[in-house]
Amino acid sequence: MHEGRSVRQWLPEASWLVEILDAKTREKLCFLDKVEPQATIAEIKNLFTKSHPQWYPARQSLRLDPKGKSLKDEDVLQKLPVGTTATLYFRDLGAQISWVTVFLTEYAGPLFIYLLFYFRVPFIYGHKYDFTSSRHTVVHLACICHSFHYIKRLLETLFVHRFSHGTMPLRNIFKNCTYYWGFAAWMAYYINHPLYTPPTYGAQQVKLALAIFVICQLGNFSIHMALRDLRPAGSKTRKIPYPTKNPFTWLFLLVSCPNYTYEVGSWIGFAIMTQCLPVALFSLVGFTQMTIWAKGKHRSYLKEFRDYPPLRMPIIPFLL
Amino acid sequence: MAAAAATAATKGNGGGGARAGAGEASGSRKKKGPGPLATAYLVIYNVVMTAGWLVIAVGLVRAYLAKGSYHSLYYSIEKPLKFFQTGALLEILHCAVGIVPSSVVLTSFQVMSRVFLIWAVTHSVKEVQSEDSVLLFVIAWTITEIIRYSFYTFSLLNHLPYLIKWARYTLFIVLYPMGVSGELLTIYAALPFVRQSGLYSISLPNKYNFSFDYYAFLILIMISYIPIFPQLYFHMIHQRRKVLSHTEEHKKFE
Repeated sequence: MHEGRSVRQWLPEASWLVEILDAKTREKLCFLDKVEPQATIAEIKNLFTKSHPQWYPARQSLRLDPKGKSLKDEDVLQKLPVGTTATLYFRDLGAQISWVTVFLTEYAGPLFIYLLFYFRVPFIYGHKYDFTSSRHTVVHLACICHSFHYIKRLLETLFVHRFSHGTMPLRNIFKNCTYYWGFAAWMAYYINHPLYTPPTYGAQQVKLALAIFVICQLGNFSIHMALRDLRPAGSKTRKIPYPTKNPFTWLFLLVSCPNYTYEVGSWIGFAIMTQCLPVALFSLVGFTQMTIWAKGKHRSYLKEFRDYPPLRMPIIPFLL
Repeated sequence: MAAAAATAATKGNGGGGARAGAGEASGSRKKKGPGPLATAYLVIYNVVMTAGWLVIAVGLVRAYLAKGSYHSLYYSIEKPLKFFQTGALLEILHCAVGIVPSSVVLTSFQVMSRVFLIWAVTHSVKEVQSEDSVLLFVIAWTITEIIRYSFYTFSLLNHLPYLIKWARYTLFIVLYPMGVSGELLTIYAALPFVRQSGLYSISLPNKYNFSFDYYAFLILIMISYIPIFPQLYFHMIHQRRKVLSHTEEHKKFE
């Protein structure tokens, strides 16, 4: 199997053996010899894919212990607590899909679906309403706001966000799209309904709600930009976010995840603007999920940074 | 499904021994168990529930003997049925607090589906109370619950007679389908009355731009039995094989 002797053969520390076993069955899946000690886990994953092409690197989880944590792609072989023969355990993460693909799909849906209801495409409302237009200004305003929101999200996905993970499990796209598309359809149905009732306090209510919505959209965007600037392109570094010159980012003084705070604010604004219960319910569900995420993010900030500002709460200043 | 779920997924009201938990990890598991106070409380809870469902069982038999027919027996046991089935909401609390090692989500789902049938269907739609389908699920639930709560009681006391274990993991084979049939037929019987009276329904236009059609909701509930019931049923069958064969092996080594 070895064609000829190379210098490395005489210096055993210069090339290592990596064996990969299945984490569940302990079956020997792959034997890699002549692995550079400076090789990264990412490179080992690529080598593993060669012998098992159905397991592309994104769906591989390699760990030192069958029940342990996944090793990171950047980890270097010789820095791990292994001898010159390393045993790694493999777990299949299942089919993966890129975050960008998931985001684009889950956001394009609501944008498109809402418009179907706005234009009163046939078979949604009674036939006499096909392609008619609402006589309420707020309905047109709501369409602009909703569409703006999702266009903003799509553009941010393409040009602003820097993702630390490349992929997520494939089943997430079905779960996420059901959530976004389902709620979009449900809200849009009522707001664009021929029997829609405009807000009780009329133009005043709409103006106030619109102001809240716009401020929160600007705030949310400002935070996304600040977070992007925190991380150089292509890197996966993590730093504590701080307020910048942009006043919208001053919310960082009080919360760890002001992007979520502004997002909830936007939807509350939209709910007040449309005075539509399904929108309020959507805001509530979103708020619940974002609170869980914010708490998790806050916890990992606290764990990672000793000097993390103590005044900050996860998502709601002083409260939550 | 309320019948199926209750037997299938509840790991126990603190019960030891074999469990039918849908969310449980098999193999080694750190069992710290409830403390002595919690155990005492759970024993009392399970004894009271066993007694309650026995009261319902006896009530059914007496009503049948008194009336001479099995029709409209619901009225004779309506109050204890409502009381003891609703009392099962405490089981959600037990999981939340941690004295019972079951999933809060799973337990909530089970208990809520039972409570839904009792209050939102049978109680709310008076016309179905005289249906025979009600008797079908009440009998299924009664037998299931008597066995389930005594199973937990004995497990907590670390003295589980094989008969109870066998009953819990065998009778479901008949009681599940029986309970599910009773539930579905009852919901189906309620439909025309819900449609006619607009029960629990809101229509447009209204101030909050919201609508809810209880009739459509009930149909959705019925449809949901299709994916859910087989899963629960086959899970129990799988558990039965595991639990009862395990006991057989134990017996061999004695």
